[in-house]
Amino acid sequence: MISLARMRTVSSLILVWYLAATTPTQADSPSLADRVIEHKLANGMTVLMVERHQAPIVSINMTFGVGGVNEQVGQTGLAHLYEHMAFKGTRTIGTKDYEKEQAVLAELDKVGTELDRREREEAALAYTEGKRAAPSEAVQQLQRRFKDLQDKAGDYVVGNEMALLYQRHGGVGLNASTGKDITRYVISLPANRLPLWAALESDRMAHPVLREFYKERGVVMEERRLRTDDSPNGLLYETFTSTAFLAHQYGVPTIGWGSDILSLTPAETEAFFKTYYGPNNATVAIVGDIDPKAVIALIEQTFGKIPAAPPIPALVTEEPPQRGERRVEIEFDAEPAVAIGYHKPTIGDPDDFVFDVIDEVLTEGVTSRLYSKLVRDKRLAASVLSDTNYPGVRAPNLFVIAATPLAPHTTSEVETAIYEELERLKTEPISAKEFERVLNGLDADLVRSLRSNSGLASQLAFYQTVAGSWRYVVNARDRIAAVTPADVQRVATQYLIKSNRTVGVLVKKAPDKKIAAAGEVAR
Amino acid sequence: MRRVIREAYLVKRERDGGCGMRRWASVLAVVVVIALQAMVGLAADLALDNPRTMRFPTVEFNPPDAERLVLENGMVVYLLEDHELPLVTINATLRTGSWLDPADKVGLAGMTGAVMRTGGSARMSPEEIDEELEQLAATVSVGFAKESGSASLDVLKKDLKRGLQIFADLLRRPAFDRSRVELAKLQALEGIRRRQDSPGAIVGREFAKLLYGAEHPSARETSIRSIDSITREDLVAFHQQTVHPNGIILGVTGDFDKLAMMALLREVFGDWAKGTVPEVTIPAVPETDFKTGAVRFVNKDTSQTHLRVGHLTIKETDPDYVAVAIANDILGGSSFRSRLFNDVRTKRGLAYSVGSGLRASVYDEGVWLMRAETKLSSTQEVVNRFVANMERMRNEPVTDAELAEAKEAYVNSFVFSFTSASSIVSRLMDLEYDGLPKDWLQQIRDKVVKLTKEDIQRVAKAHFNPERLRILAVGSGEALSKVLASFGEVKEITLAPES
Repeated sequence: MISLARMRTVSSLILVWYLAATTPTQADSPSLADRVIEHKLANGMTVLMVERHQAPIVSINMTFGVGGVNEQVGQTGLAHLYEHMAFKGTRTIGTKDYEKEQAVLAELDKVGTELDRREREEAALAYTEGKRAAPSEAVQQLQRRFKDLQDKAGDYVVGNEMALLYQRHGGVGLNASTGKDITRYVISLPANRLPLWAALESDRMAHPVLREFYKERGVVMEERRLRTDDSPNGLLYETFTSTAFLAHQYGVPTIGWGSDILSLTPAETEAFFKTYYGPNNATVAIVGDIDPKAVIALIEQTFGKIPAAPPIPALVTEEPPQRGERRVEIEFDAEPAVAIGYHKPTIGDPDDFVFDVIDEVLTEGVTSRLYSKLVRDKRLAASVLSDTNYPGVRAPNLFVIAATPLAPHTTSEVETAIYEELERLKTEPISAKEFERVLNGLDADLVRSLRSNSGLASQLAFYQTVAGSWRYVVNARDRIAAVTPADVQRVATQYLIKSNRTVGVLVKKAPDKKIAAAGEVAR
Repeated sequence: MRRVIREAYLVKRERDGGCGMRRWASVLAVVVVIALQAMVGLAADLALDNPRTMRFPTVEFNPPDAERLVLENGMVVYLLEDHELPLVTINATLRTGSWLDPADKVGLAGMTGAVMRTGGSARMSPEEIDEELEQLAATVSVGFAKESGSASLDVLKKDLKRGLQIFADLLRRPAFDRSRVELAKLQALEGIRRRQDSPGAIVGREFAKLLYGAEHPSARETSIRSIDSITREDLVAFHQQTVHPNGIILGVTGDFDKLAMMALLREVFGDWAKGTVPEVTIPAVPETDFKTGAVRFVNKDTSQTHLRVGHLTIKETDPDYVAVAIANDILGGSSFRSRLFNDVRTKRGLAYSVGSGLRASVYDEGVWLMRAETKLSSTQEVVNRFVANMERMRNEPVTDAELAEAKEAYVNSFVFSFTSASSIVSRLMDLEYDGLPKDWLQQIRDKVVKLTKEDIQRVAKAHFNPERLRILAVGSGEALSKVLASFGEVKEITLAPES
């Protein structure tokens, strides 16, 4: 299927069905559910392990229960910025002399924070006076001092040393990602290099140092421009999502609003780390050529020394019920697209499993209802897809259908055709054949997803973090298999209604010859 | 839809092939132990606490070997059993490709591949095939690229026979159903309409044209006219002329029995007659066209300048290839470890995505380039850093540490090239398709281990050429042309409207 929504695939429910281990497709291989070994440290950290001895390699997925939802107003993008900062090293890695560096960093942070504050003040003043003033002498002085300190701090840095160590030891796939609910750090290594991983990761859990902070803020701004500001789909989804959620943090882009990113401070970043990066908020899944007993001993020796952090603050804001359709347009120099979202409950709710079925029936494969109608037969759309857990899974979320029209057809024609199919879900029960296809597809995809150590590690850590236990996946397949055609009709009738709907439309705007202003202070 | 929309932000994106070497690993059933003891050290040094001084022995691994057989009609078959999961995968490489597209029908090969999959077979309608494959949760894909075609079947063990029959039918007897041809043409036209939407897509395509010329098979593009001119009969003819059993290499991996599999393959492919197989020939780019520098921009209302800076380079078979790949690795190919990443991203905070790449093939001149996206106000500085870092590679040797790191990263990650039966087999298929020896990767590895700082500097001087640099920037026009002016005469590329 053609997919134009190019956002990261962090997770899906796919793996679930295989772990259930009751499918005829893999009756002759031992149940994976029996192969997961779980260990909990006294400080609350969870370790999940699966032995796979096909090759002398291991994949590690370290997942923290923190993401965009944990940010406050004015600090959006903080969870993601911290994820970047986590690669800057510790008191021993990434530095030539931490003792001396520490003093310079403290001063730099003070001056940088003061400079940000004064610049904002002067910008506000210039705005009320209706003119752009040159920076005051005081600000210019701070700017010089800032540059001086930044250069000095730079002298102590050993750039990207942590990544360098992983690469020297044959590490591949080093990466990290931040989502609404979780933040993850991943690497695959030759299996005998686990002690390196444990030393590096326990060190950064205990003693990270936020060096090169202001440079990395600039990097994140460039990332925002790349993924959002210059991307038609990036902008469409950012605006669509913030329209769908008025109160809940799911409505705020994880990358952060530009103005917030440029105002983040080392102090709040440090505080964020202390609040959310304790071992009690971490799950590590390790899959590959391992000896679980040795792994447990290694992790106890390293991570085991780190004290638990206080419980993380509860999230209180809930999205109020939607009372009426919301529509929003995004203008961009690009061909049109449309995203349609319906509020729905999330994992754990019985209706969520029904949405898994609806999702598959509507858009999975070329025989799915929306693809065959809109793309193949009526030729109204070039692509159509759906996602049943957007943009996160820890709080009630959206069922999203997204499509691109096939010219000369319009987004409005595509919308109408989609709504017709949604009405059909309410009035006609889905067929036994469709349901069988859904289950066959899920079962087979689960088997396939086991081809990869890193994929398996990712899924185990994901469900442990967002559902409280990786075992959630063991039950989910049976819950989906138990969905009835009547359930589908009931759920469609209850949720897939106009008043519960948000529609975002990407509208073509002719290229604008005016030059974008370069207003940002380059540090 | 199981490929979900999801929002997540990565600290970095992995780019293909760390060192820019397409086949960065060995194929044979050798023990993957490389004794770089001088660099890697011995287990005895193992110190548990300090990551800087930890030492580990290189892992030992005996990857399984695949069996190679040839059917009477010339079809080559690689087989490697792997019984962990109840799945079978069959990949085919086909001696065809878009290099064969006639100049007035660019897009013909691509569409032939697409409709071979969607257009039904002599025995089944398109709808019957789609229904059955999805009911079996099997996937079949067909796609024709520039220098080869590929097709694959991924099926549960229990459905192997049925899946293979459909797969073989689509390869041998595609029906090119008229309505599916029509649909493919509409989709292709929509793709043309949308290809100017994102600056990242524009910069990639325009840079290829800037290096190879707009008519060259490595850069040319479909147009509304070329798509309109393609008929069903063209697809039928292209299939008949280029898809033959003696042009196919098949790789079979998964949960099967070798003898039974060979019997099945003979049943579905055995009576397919040989044909005349085209040999891949890509025209050389005229010397005069690519030896010179150029500065171009495309005006698009963006918040960043999307930059590509580079020139054409050697083929994969060039004696300097391995040294150039390692030079590129140190310059910008190895992400976190590379000079460009450290300089432009880490030290200066000017870009999220920055690096250099080397793409070489055995058929065609390769491309070496540096790339980044950065805000307009830092565009000039980034291009300056590109040039400065490139000059540094030419003017001074890399450090001992840099070279050692590059070698260690290569040697220690070697094992990841043998992680699955399918990765082992597809590498063998690639090598055979390209006419390279089975021990090609051992040869590369041996060369890597022997490289010296002098080798790196010599190839940097020979193959990173400042006077040949072609600079392309996609961004906000008027201002952009000014910041680029210090690099040479700036000319605008005007994109033709696509709708």
